[in-house]
Amino acid sequence: MLCVLSCRTGAPPPPGGTIVVALESAPAVLDPRYATDANSSLVAALLAPGLTRMDEHAEPVPALAESWVQTSPLDYAFALRPDTRFADGSPLTAADVVATYRSVLDPALRSPKREALAAIADLAAPDPRTVVVRLRTVTASFLETTNLGILPAALAREGQLPPERVLGGGPFRVQRGLSDGGVDLVPAAGVPATTPPGLRFRVIPDGTVRALELASGAVHLVQNALEPDLLPWLRGRADLAVEISPGTTFQYLGMNLRDPRLADVRVRRALAYGLDREAIVHGMLRDTAHVASGLLPPSHWAYSGEVTRYPFDRAQAGALLAESGIGADAAEALRHLSYKTSTVELRRRIAEAVQAQLGALSLLVDVRSYEWATFYADVRRGDFELYSLAWVGVGDPDVYYRIFHSRMVPPEGSNRAAYANPRMDALLEAARATLDPGTRVRLYAEVQRVAADDLPVVPLWWADNVVVHSRRLAGFVPAPDGDLRWLASAHLEPAARAAATFDCSPRIAYCRVEHAP
Amino acid sequence: MTRLALRRTFLALPTIVAAATLVFLLVHVVPGDPVDVMLGESAASVDREALRHALALDRPLAAQYARFLAGLATGDLGRSLVSDRPVARLVAERLPATLELAFGALAVALAIALPLGVAAAARPGTWLDRGAVGFSLLGAAMPSFWLGPLLIIAFAIELRILPVSGRGGPAHLLLPACTLGLGMAAILTRMTRASLLECIGEDYVRTARAKGLSRVTVLARHALANALAPVVTILGLQFGALLAGTVITETIFAWPGVGRLTVEAIQARDYPVLQGCILAIAAGFVIASTLADIVNAALDPRTRPPSRRP
Repeated sequence: MLCVLSCRTGAPPPPGGTIVVALESAPAVLDPRYATDANSSLVAALLAPGLTRMDEHAEPVPALAESWVQTSPLDYAFALRPDTRFADGSPLTAADVVATYRSVLDPALRSPKREALAAIADLAAPDPRTVVVRLRTVTASFLETTNLGILPAALAREGQLPPERVLGGGPFRVQRGLSDGGVDLVPAAGVPATTPPGLRFRVIPDGTVRALELASGAVHLVQNALEPDLLPWLRGRADLAVEISPGTTFQYLGMNLRDPRLADVRVRRALAYGLDREAIVHGMLRDTAHVASGLLPPSHWAYSGEVTRYPFDRAQAGALLAESGIGADAAEALRHLSYKTSTVELRRRIAEAVQAQLGALSLLVDVRSYEWATFYADVRRGDFELYSLAWVGVGDPDVYYRIFHSRMVPPEGSNRAAYANPRMDALLEAARATLDPGTRVRLYAEVQRVAADDLPVVPLWWADNVVVHSRRLAGFVPAPDGDLRWLASAHLEPAARAAATFDCSPRIAYCRVEHAP
Repeated sequence: MTRLALRRTFLALPTIVAAATLVFLLVHVVPGDPVDVMLGESAASVDREALRHALALDRPLAAQYARFLAGLATGDLGRSLVSDRPVARLVAERLPATLELAFGALAVALAIALPLGVAAAARPGTWLDRGAVGFSLLGAAMPSFWLGPLLIIAFAIELRILPVSGRGGPAHLLLPACTLGLGMAAILTRMTRASLLECIGEDYVRTARAKGLSRVTVLARHALANALAPVVTILGLQFGALLAGTVITETIFAWPGVGRLTVEAIQARDYPVLQGCILAIAAGFVIASTLADIVNAALDPRTRPPSRRP
């Protein structure tokens, strides 16, 4: 009877070569003008690419545009590739680009990306393959925002589109939404025959079950959504490959500089020295992260490694605390710090490790875990002493302006610590108004140096990209930001052929790309 | 019977509105801002305010509540703050999954609990009885977040005869229904056994035996019919809880039911969706307990409304 049942599983099942990807939460918004969460952005990028995209060094590279020139500090001209088409086969022209940007800039349509494009004064389409953009002010990070997905002009006039109606110039289009919040994609018209016949994004909220689905063979790919503790088990399976490559997600310890104790840079440095980040990365993250020296990862074009580092040194940390008056003999109230985190199991365990490590410095850390919306509201309101969060998808280094400029305290920006240093402000203002790459590199190196000395946040680690996929899935290409464009040229090998690869040792496929020094 | 159903339905309306009001107040009092959750770090504060205004989140709580009630009266549950889709459609899309799982679990629970409870009561003190009591203890003690993955590992990974998760055909239903049903069966087994044992000791059972009826007839027609009343009541309550969506089981099996939708709505502070879910859940509870009352009235004339008494 069970066999009969199993023969009728999955109505309707995905066709033969459909690649199934498991996500932990639904890609709810696929309209590129409105997609802001990580999973929505990931899927939306497959449907509707922009004029440019960011490469692995966070530099803009051609996407729909084959090239661009900056005709003056304020003027850009983009030349579209000659063959750009929407997924239904209709031509994608400069008029569509202009209409999409205009709709984001239209306050009535309430796109969350309006702010990012606020620098645009005007744009026009002098001919079907050319888009010219005029900016209000010199904006060094402008080419970061031109990754906005392009929609047909007719659709761009409407507000937020439901997933089924999103149409872009990408290799896939939406076939239908799934009842679990997932989505089925099929190849766009005119894509190469090597494109997989379908992509299914399933929502599987439980981490253990995502791993079990991989093991069962019903899911072929999970990216950055597995508990590190499950990796040894997954690695031990002959039918799965675990691929770990450097990522750009930056995890940090946030501190509230409005608190007189944390306003003292010696205390912040003491916290940095007192945390054994290597131990947490090794013991809890199973080596799926690299201890960070700052926000920008080594692969970033503006990265500078010449900054103060804080290796684990408990004696040094204790001395700094004693110097600033909250050493082991200080009053209990002075040594008491609260640490807020989310309810995610791994985050809570990391919080307990931080608690224990700072406890060794006689600091009494009180861990409080909150459900996400509450936690995030507290962080934005400045209602915290310590917290930990991550910056995901760091592109242009101008993100530093939002995080560390003294005017960017929420609700304006993301300087939650209320950090203020006139020198930092001046550097950030100069760097965003300079177009010369060499000068920007120099200015941001200085920004990184000041940030490492002032420690408005304690850098913890850069999380690696952890991809676990079926050995039947061929064509994996690591991307530091977790981009899934490689799926357009990936394919599923038939189960029988894949069986032949069962013999190879799981350790061989487990590749680890080392960081550049 | 129709009158009973009508009366219960009429009484249920204030219950449902009260539940919705309570939830409305609670979710608005809890910290967390839907606009912040939705926009993340990307938007400017002016745009946040604009969105808040467009969604009427900047209006006084009383005004938002009045709007909610007005919508309710006209059958309009509003639109999701996140996906901008009608709430009624979102809930309606998830309801079949919840119903399927609820009925599946109920079937599993009844298929185990009734035979086991009757057998245990028929032979009290034997290994069968002790086994049934032991099973119900075990079943009630096993949490679904443990039993679920265990069943998955056994049947989907090792034996490879059932799918791991998701909703599809009957095969997809089997594991989540068993996960939920086993826990329910445990309580129902105990209830059936205890209630039946009590009835077996009654005078009318002895009379029936004295009349010379067979043991099976006495047990099934006389004792069991009377013993079922409390079982049906418990069943109604449990079924109501099943309709409320069983968040943990739905999460483990990636089952797209109302429970998951509720949790997702809470996480995103998607107030209209959350209110829609609560309304559906409250209505489910009321319907289930009404059905239980109706079945009880059919089983036991004493529980019928006064006018129906002879």
